[in-house]
Amino acid sequence: METLVKLKDVWKIYQMGEVEVPALRGVTVEIKRGDFVAIIGASGSGKSTMMNLIGCLDIPSKGKIFLKNQEITELSESDLATLRGKTIGFIFQQYNLMQSMSAYQNVVLPMEFLEYDDKTSSEKADRILKMVGLESHMHHLPSQLSGGQQQRVSIARSLVTDPEVILADEPTGNLDSKTGKEIINIFLRLWKEEHKTIIMVTHDLKLAQYAHTLIELKDGQIVKIENKNQVVKK
Amino acid sequence: MKLSKCLKHAFAMVLHSRLRSWLTILGIVIGVAAVIAIMSIGGGMQQTMTQQLGGLGGDILTLSAGYSRGFRMFGAPGERGGFSGGGTAVEEEPVLDRTDVQALRGIPDIELIDTNIRGNVKVAYLGKSGTVSLTGVDQKVWSRITTSEIQEGRMLDSADQNVVVIGGRLADSYFDKPIGINQMITIEENVFRVVGILDDSSTNIYMPIQMAYQMLDDKENNVYDSIVIKVKDEDTLDETIEKIENKLMLVRHVTEKTQDFSISSSKQMQETRSEMMTSMNAFLVAIAGVSLIVGAVGVANTMFTSVLERTKEIGIMKAIGARNRDIMTIFLINSALIGLVGGFLGIVFGTILSGILPAMMGEVGMLREGTFVSVHSIIIAISVSVVIGIFAGFIPAFQASKLKPVDALRYE
Repeated sequence: METLVKLKDVWKIYQMGEVEVPALRGVTVEIKRGDFVAIIGASGSGKSTMMNLIGCLDIPSKGKIFLKNQEITELSESDLATLRGKTIGFIFQQYNLMQSMSAYQNVVLPMEFLEYDDKTSSEKADRILKMVGLESHMHHLPSQLSGGQQQRVSIARSLVTDPEVILADEPTGNLDSKTGKEIINIFLRLWKEEHKTIIMVTHDLKLAQYAHTLIELKDGQIVKIENKNQVVKK
Repeated sequence: MKLSKCLKHAFAMVLHSRLRSWLTILGIVIGVAAVIAIMSIGGGMQQTMTQQLGGLGGDILTLSAGYSRGFRMFGAPGERGGFSGGGTAVEEEPVLDRTDVQALRGIPDIELIDTNIRGNVKVAYLGKSGTVSLTGVDQKVWSRITTSEIQEGRMLDSADQNVVVIGGRLADSYFDKPIGINQMITIEENVFRVVGILDDSSTNIYMPIQMAYQMLDDKENNVYDSIVIKVKDEDTLDETIEKIENKLMLVRHVTEKTQDFSISSSKQMQETRSEMMTSMNAFLVAIAGVSLIVGAVGVANTMFTSVLERTKEIGIMKAIGARNRDIMTIFLINSALIGLVGGFLGIVFGTILSGILPAMMGEVGMLREGTFVSVHSIIIAISVSVVIGIFAGFIPAFQASKLKPVDALRYE
């Protein structure tokens, strides 16, 4: 399978006053197209930092990151934004919806940044909101939706530009187990039926079991990569 | 992102934080309204002035006797009006007399010459009296040279003797009862019949110059306070002035340095006053501009707060594909919208204010024509307020656009 994301000796060091705090220490990993990856680890292990770097939301202090064979540190901010918009769909634990916009407007927003025409945007938003079961709540504001519904809006927003990678940061962290199960079922459907590459950050080992590949982080380093076919200890 | 979509989001931002946006808009409204009102006062004053001076006619010159100030300090050894003979240096005031009139008659560019004397006289009507200004004019030409309009009756005529033409205010409200045509008034204990009332707000009295000599004791026969000249061709005014100066210098035996007379034209007066008005306007607008600057600071403040408040939203937008320039455009349009709405409302309030200002200020001579809001000032106000909005919003917008998505997303 083709490599979609590649991290090569990636370091991320945060400057806290005069102290340097390494969040990632020489991480090297490849993620294949069409894989369902769970990044696991305890709090402070560097999971979210790794997700931010893969999602081009941040740049590494050292090392290289390749997304579709493009070295992201060499791209301009504008190119990075376009790459994010076209290639990556984000799903956050806190949903991160625009509070002043309806569910429909939130879903349409990424298409506006990519300059889709209004007709296409409208058709896509309708179809995807229907797919996540929100056709009757399209014009509700996030504050009028439950946590599960908000996360569905977030999923719809992440899918609407047809990205190659879905990056989910603790997607069920704020949801009850039943709603969390519904969300994970959507992921499985996207992975199996639509062949999306899914990278999910979680501390929930039960949830991680749904993934095909597990990457375990500890103190900013990968300690284990396990997929359903093989286990690699580092 | 397309500009239309940026506009939509910027508009939504204004609506979303209504109270703060309106308070900021209020700052711009006050600034623009002040500029519009002040410019309208300036415009009104200019219009009044143009009407007043325009009525004087561009083809009229006024000749007066007198040294230039610098020359008087050192004395003027001359013929008429200079030091008179003997050892004592007694300085006489230079005067205008028949010799000057004769000289002027020899200049073909001159159409009419009106000799004037002026002074204050005691006037009485129906037992009430007062002191007003009297002008003795050459009644044969006065009606053709004056720019005053007759409201009632007629102008002075060649055959007139004991008659006068009076100013509008003297006729209407100076005395307890209005003076009508053919009514008699007493000037310095001589009775005169009113034959005409002027369409102005003066208390002047005009009478034939020969009669005026009798009323004004201190005036010497055939000596004039001023000579009003009407030239044939307004376009060659400067050349005519030069000819008059040359001729008069010759007959008065003076040089350019010792020149003891001056010629003023209404055109010159108009230009001088216009320059004065422009400077005054600029000064007033600068004062009003200060409130616009305060408004601009308000816009900048609002935009900074808005950026801070929307940091997380900026992070979300960047995560889902917004480029720096999309964020910058949205914030800039937002601040320009605040400026535009403020500017528009400022014009409305400024126009209303300029309408009621003359009434609030009472009878101000320079505002007789009311205030005047020009298209020019409206265009300036709208452009300035939008530019102020954009300028004030630029740094906050730039700051917003440069936010790192990962930091913005973490912001709570």
